[in-house]
Amino acid sequence: MDIISQLQEQVNLIAHLAFNTVGTLQRDAPPNRLSPNYPEPPAHATEDGSNFSEQPKLMSTTLVKAAKQFDALVAALPISESGEEAQLKRISELQAENDAIGLELQKQLEAAEKELNQVQELFRQASDNCLNLKKPDDS
Amino acid sequence: MATATYPPPPPYYRLYKDYLQDPNSAPDPPPPIEGTYLCFGANYTTSDVLPTLEEQGVRQLYSKGPNVDFKKELRSLNGELQLHVLELADILIERPSQYARRVEEISTVFKNLHHLLNSLRPHQARATLIHILELQIQRRKQAVEDIKKRREEARRLLNESLATLDGH
Repeated sequence: MDIISQLQEQVNLIAHLAFNTVGTLQRDAPPNRLSPNYPEPPAHATEDGSNFSEQPKLMSTTLVKAAKQFDALVAALPISESGEEAQLKRISELQAENDAIGLELQKQLEAAEKELNQVQELFRQASDNCLNLKKPDDS
Repeated sequence: MATATYPPPPPYYRLYKDYLQDPNSAPDPPPPIEGTYLCFGANYTTSDVLPTLEEQGVRQLYSKGPNVDFKKELRSLNGELQLHVLELADILIERPSQYARRVEEISTVFKNLHHLLNSLRPHQARATLIHILELQIQRRKQAVEDIKKRREEARRLLNESLATLDGH
């Protein structure tokens, strides 16, 4: 997977973790006293009996780790300092060089083809001479 | 009344009955659509470009202009996102009724992040094209060198053969 897709998935992961972190805070937070006129709220007991501060701490740690991973992926982006114009210029240069080497390749192929034809012609002449040399023995 | 298994063709087929003799007698096809059009309720556009954040009704948080420092902007948006999440937690404690603005801010940051990453795709495509061209040039150079080497080898073998024949 390319690094931009990794970054996009990392952003989605951060969104997922942020959503869940806030949701967990809302679900598990103990009630707060709004005013001295109200009575003291009852002590909050979570369903699983665990301590309240453990899970938000864990989720916050995971969220911060995901953010640091995002920064690491951003640092690993292979973006050249050049912009769009430099990229297009580079593409044009490479295209011209590609065409030039293509012409050179074509020329080499034609020369090789010609030499192959010459060698085949020589071979044909040599074989004809050999056949001609065999003729006096038969007569 | 039962319908036929194969219904008759639409009536406008008669417009093409003289097409073989006279191609101009048939009506011309409709011109290509430009701009946007509606297809099954969804809005499509003929030019495949990434719409800007303003066109989508989202506030743009990073600097405008052709040359954007993607790494710096992505890092700053990431930091801003973490800050907004912390502020949301504080707001929920101090002023719970004002959570909506913070949530909207977080949503804006996420949209900017995704838009910025999608803006990297053309750059990625050009970089991929550069890489492909470089590979092609390398392969062609290798092919040229290979042909030259084999031509030289063939010439050397031919000279050796001629020398052998002259020797005899």
